[in-house]
Amino acid sequence: MKILIADDDEMSRRLLERTLEHEGYGVISVENGRVALEQLSLPDGPRMALLDWMMPELDGPGVCQEIRRQHDRPYVHLVLLTSRVSKQDVVAGLEAGADDYLTKPWDPAELTARLRVGQRILQLEDRLVEARETMRFKASHDPLTSLFNRGVILDLLARELSRTRREKGCTVVMLGDLDNFKSVNDSYGHAVGDEVLREIARRLLDSVRSYDFVGRYGGEEFLVVLNNCDSAQAIARAEEVRMGIANHQVQTMRGPLHITMSLGVLASRNWDRRVVEEILIETDLALYKAKADGRNCVRLAEPPVLCAVPRADSVTS
Amino acid sequence: MDQHPDCSTQAAMNLAELLIRVGNDRDLVWELIVIFKKKSPLLMSQLKESVALGDTNRVETICHVLTGMLSCIAATRAAALAGQLEQMGREGRTLGLSDALTPFEQEVAKLLPELDGFTLEAKL
Repeated sequence: MKILIADDDEMSRRLLERTLEHEGYGVISVENGRVALEQLSLPDGPRMALLDWMMPELDGPGVCQEIRRQHDRPYVHLVLLTSRVSKQDVVAGLEAGADDYLTKPWDPAELTARLRVGQRILQLEDRLVEARETMRFKASHDPLTSLFNRGVILDLLARELSRTRREKGCTVVMLGDLDNFKSVNDSYGHAVGDEVLREIARRLLDSVRSYDFVGRYGGEEFLVVLNNCDSAQAIARAEEVRMGIANHQVQTMRGPLHITMSLGVLASRNWDRRVVEEILIETDLALYKAKADGRNCVRLAEPPVLCAVPRADSVTS
Repeated sequence: MDQHPDCSTQAAMNLAELLIRVGNDRDLVWELIVIFKKKSPLLMSQLKESVALGDTNRVETICHVLTGMLSCIAATRAAALAGQLEQMGREGRTLGLSDALTPFEQEVAKLLPELDGFTLEAKL
């Protein structure tokens, strides 16, 4: 583990370096508070620091205060080292944001024991952050496909709707439904059906830009939101998505399957006062039209409804 | 004036304690002594000058550094005397500052031959 030592006293620094290196730490040593702050602020900077109280340019408590103002980075365990022993000083150091406090001359056994406490706290923090991120992911993503779940993709669509209105931009919404997917489940079982859904999700993500949104809207229905996408390109983008699925068979445990998707598309520069529900109804009507027109095709949800591609076969295996 | 114990017969550096503290790493002790001997003369002369001028801020700063350095080599009494001077500096006390400097200088003067003795022994 990396640890920062900040002390303007060369002897004290050397003593700390040797002790901590002996304990297996990767030591970064600096001689003033400003450089210490720079090091600790780096994206992969040390997560532990031993800071002398009195240092040129920025003192130990000053470094603590600055670090505690940075809320967007992992926690750093800060230990103040000083010859000051009054309760007032201890309180001031801890109030500045230090986690611990050691008086000089420090005892090596006490120092390393306290640093191990710091490591345990950091490990605990890491586990909490990991658990929070896992929970956050589970709350926002579909467990099978890892795409955004229905609630989140609808929230994102609502957000885009507001942004489009505000910026007078254009957003494209696609609602795609796998053709005859029930027959996949019925013929090959749900495990194969799940394999297909996972692969389709992967292909959908591959066919959009990193800042577009893809979500699982229902069983075999997917909602795609393309930000800042010109309405003139809506059909072409939807076609790319459709072909990305239809043109390559999906490999499953029961052999390759030919899967297709029908898509309803809505594109607009100005959605006026239409709410998400209305937009989804219009897009769903276009999807319904694509299904009625023979599946494996794209239909635009604006009059006149265009047929971009002639129908092709639905699921075959 | 702050009192200091009469320790004329005791060693200025507690080598045994220092060796325990550094895990019997004599090379490190040698390295620390070299740094101290290199840096302390200038600090001592700056301290003397600051005391003469009654510059308590500077006395505090210099003595803070000296306290740390002396603690590092287990020169406990010298470190305590430097700490007293640092405290006087922090409190802006000029009265008694010169009197407090004398025993500190004496203790450092006693320390230096001990440090030389260690480095000489280390070379042999």
